[in-house]
Amino acid sequence: MDLRVPSGWFFTLVGLILLAMGVFKPETRATLTTANVNLYSGACMLVFGLFMLLLAWRAARSGE
Amino acid sequence: MKLAPVDYVILALYFAFVLGIGWRLRKGVSSSGDFLLSGRSVPVWITSLAFIAANLGAVELIGMAASGAKYGIMTAHFYWLGAIPAMLFMGIFMMPFYYGSKARSVPEYLKLRFDEKTRAFNAISFAVMTIFSSGISMYALGLLLHLVLGWSFDVSVLASAAIVLAYTFLGGLTSAIYNEVLQFLLIVMGFAPLAILAVNKAGGWQGMVSRLPPNMTHAWRYMGSPTENPMGVEIFGMVAGLGFVLSFGYWCTNFLVVQRAMAADSMSAARRTPLIGTIPKMFLPFIVIMPGIAALVLSKMNLGYDFPLKATGGPDYDQALTTLMAQFYPAGLLGVGMTGLMASFMSGMAGNVTAFNTVFTYDIYQSYIRPGAPDHHYLTVGRVTTVAGVLLSIAAAYLATRYNNIMDLLQLVFGCVNAPLFATFLLGMFWKRTTAHGAFAGLTLGTAAAVLTLSSTTAEGKGGWIANLYTFPSQMAQNFWIAIIAFTTCLVISVAVSMVTKPRPDKEMEGLVYGLTKVPHDATAKWYQRPAPLTVVVIIMLVILNFWFR
Repeated sequence: MDLRVPSGWFFTLVGLILLAMGVFKPETRATLTTANVNLYSGACMLVFGLFMLLLAWRAARSGE
Repeated sequence: MKLAPVDYVILALYFAFVLGIGWRLRKGVSSSGDFLLSGRSVPVWITSLAFIAANLGAVELIGMAASGAKYGIMTAHFYWLGAIPAMLFMGIFMMPFYYGSKARSVPEYLKLRFDEKTRAFNAISFAVMTIFSSGISMYALGLLLHLVLGWSFDVSVLASAAIVLAYTFLGGLTSAIYNEVLQFLLIVMGFAPLAILAVNKAGGWQGMVSRLPPNMTHAWRYMGSPTENPMGVEIFGMVAGLGFVLSFGYWCTNFLVVQRAMAADSMSAARRTPLIGTIPKMFLPFIVIMPGIAALVLSKMNLGYDFPLKATGGPDYDQALTTLMAQFYPAGLLGVGMTGLMASFMSGMAGNVTAFNTVFTYDIYQSYIRPGAPDHHYLTVGRVTTVAGVLLSIAAAYLATRYNNIMDLLQLVFGCVNAPLFATFLLGMFWKRTTAHGAFAGLTLGTAAAVLTLSSTTAEGKGGWIANLYTFPSQMAQNFWIAIIAFTTCLVISVAVSMVTKPRPDKEMEGLVYGLTKVPHDATAKWYQRPAPLTVVVIIMLVILNFWFR
C-alpha cells in the first residue's frame, strides 16, 4: 500500500469540510480571532491532500 | 468547550482512516517477523516520520506547551540541544551495529554483544516501563478530555485503547508505523494554525520578547547560574545531563524509537531514518512550544484570555494548549485540533504497545519460556501479547487514577533507567575490550546509583526518602544530575570490571563492535542520500537556530 493514497484522501476530505465551513458558515468564529480560520486552513489541507495524491498517482504510473 | 457536529464528523473520519489502514495491511502479516518487525520493508520517509511520531505522545504534546509557558524558549533545548544531536549520533555511529547485527530488538543486541543476564535485565525493565508509560499517557488523555470536553473518563480511555488495539492487532508494526505517519501529519496540520494565530495575536516573536522577562525568550544567555533562568539549571548540568546523557540515552537505546529505524528496508535507509527525522523534529518547537509561550503573553494582554488555574490555585500549565484551542479555533478546525490530540495519544500508545510485544515475544517468551517453537506459534504469541499489552496499559491507567503520587514517582525512576544504559551501549559498541560481566555490573550499579541519588537529594520537595544530602534548585536540575551520576557510575564500573575479566575473542564480535564491523560507504549514492552530507546540513541549521534564539 502506498501511504500517500490514504493520507492524501484524508486531508483532501478534511480540507473540503473546512473549506465548506469557511464558505457557507463564515460567521463561525472563535473568540480571539477575526480571521476566517476554517477557510484558510481548509484550503491549505486540500492543497496538501491533492499534492499527496498527485505524488502517489505519478509513482503508480511510473511503476507500471 | 463544546464540540459541534462537524467536529465529530472529522473525528469519525480519522477513526475510519486509521482502522482502514490497519484493515488493508492485515494481509501482509504471515510471520512473526512481519507482525513484530514489519519484515524490514518500510520506505525511509515513512520510518523517519514514525521515528519522531512514536515519541510525540499526548503527554509530550501537552507537556511541551506546558513547559513553554513555564520555562520559555529554554524548553527548545529538549530538541535543539538534546534530541537532534542524539539522533544524528544514532544514525551515523550506532545504526550500523543495530541493523548490521541482525538483532531484532535492543535487548537482543545486548545478548549478542554481551550475555543473557544483561539482556534479561534490559528486556524486563523495558517491558515494565512501556506498560506504565502507555498507562500514564492514557490517564493523562482521559483526564484532559474529561476536563475540557466533559467526556467520560472511562469511555474516552476504553474507546481510544480499543482503536489502537484494533489496528495494531490487524497489521502489526507496519500498521502502527503507517498510522504514526498519518498521525504526525495530522498533529502538524492541527496545531500549526494554533501556533500561527496565537503568536500573531501576541505580537509576533518581537512582541513576545517585549512582553516577557528576558530569561523566558533566550535559550542560552541566562544559563550561567541556576538562579537566573526559569528552569533552575546551570550550563554544565544542561549540556552534560540533558544534551548528552538523557537525550542520547533515550534516542539511541530506547527500543520504542530504535524499532522504527530497524524496520527500514536497507542498512542505508535505517541510518538515514533518524537523520531525515531531525529535519521535521527541528521545527517542532515552533508548533508545540511556541503556543505555550504565547499563552503566557496573551494572559498578560487584557484580551479576555486568562491563564488556566488549578482548583487548588496556581497556574495549570497542562491546560495551556487546550484553552488556547478554545480561544482560537472555530467549530471545524477545533475538530481537527482535538483529533490531532487524540492522534498524538494513539501514536504514543501504539509505539509503546508494538515495542512491548516485540520485546516480550522475542526477548522474554522465546528466550526463557518456550524456545524452539515454530514461527507461527510466535506470531500467535505476538498477537496475544498485543492484547495483553493494551489491557495492562488500561490497568496502569486506572492505577494512576487511584495512586497519583506513585505514578509521579515511577516517571522519575524511569527517567533514571536510560541514562546508565547509554554508557553500556557506548562501551559495548566502541570498545571491544568491554566484557559481559563488566556491562552487567555497570548497568545494575549505575541504575542503583540513580535511585540512590534520587532518594538522598531533594528538589521542589520531592525525593530524599532516605536522607537529604543536597537540595537542587529545581527538579530539572535534579533529573539532569541524576543522569550524569548514573552514567558516570556505569562507565567507571564497566571499565573497571572489564579490565579484570576475560575478554571475548574478536571473532565472536564481528558485526557488533566498532573496528570489527564493515561500515557501509554509499559513495555512489546522491549526496542527500548519504549520511555524512545530510548530517552537515542538519548541524548548520541547528547552529543557526541556537544562535537565533540565544
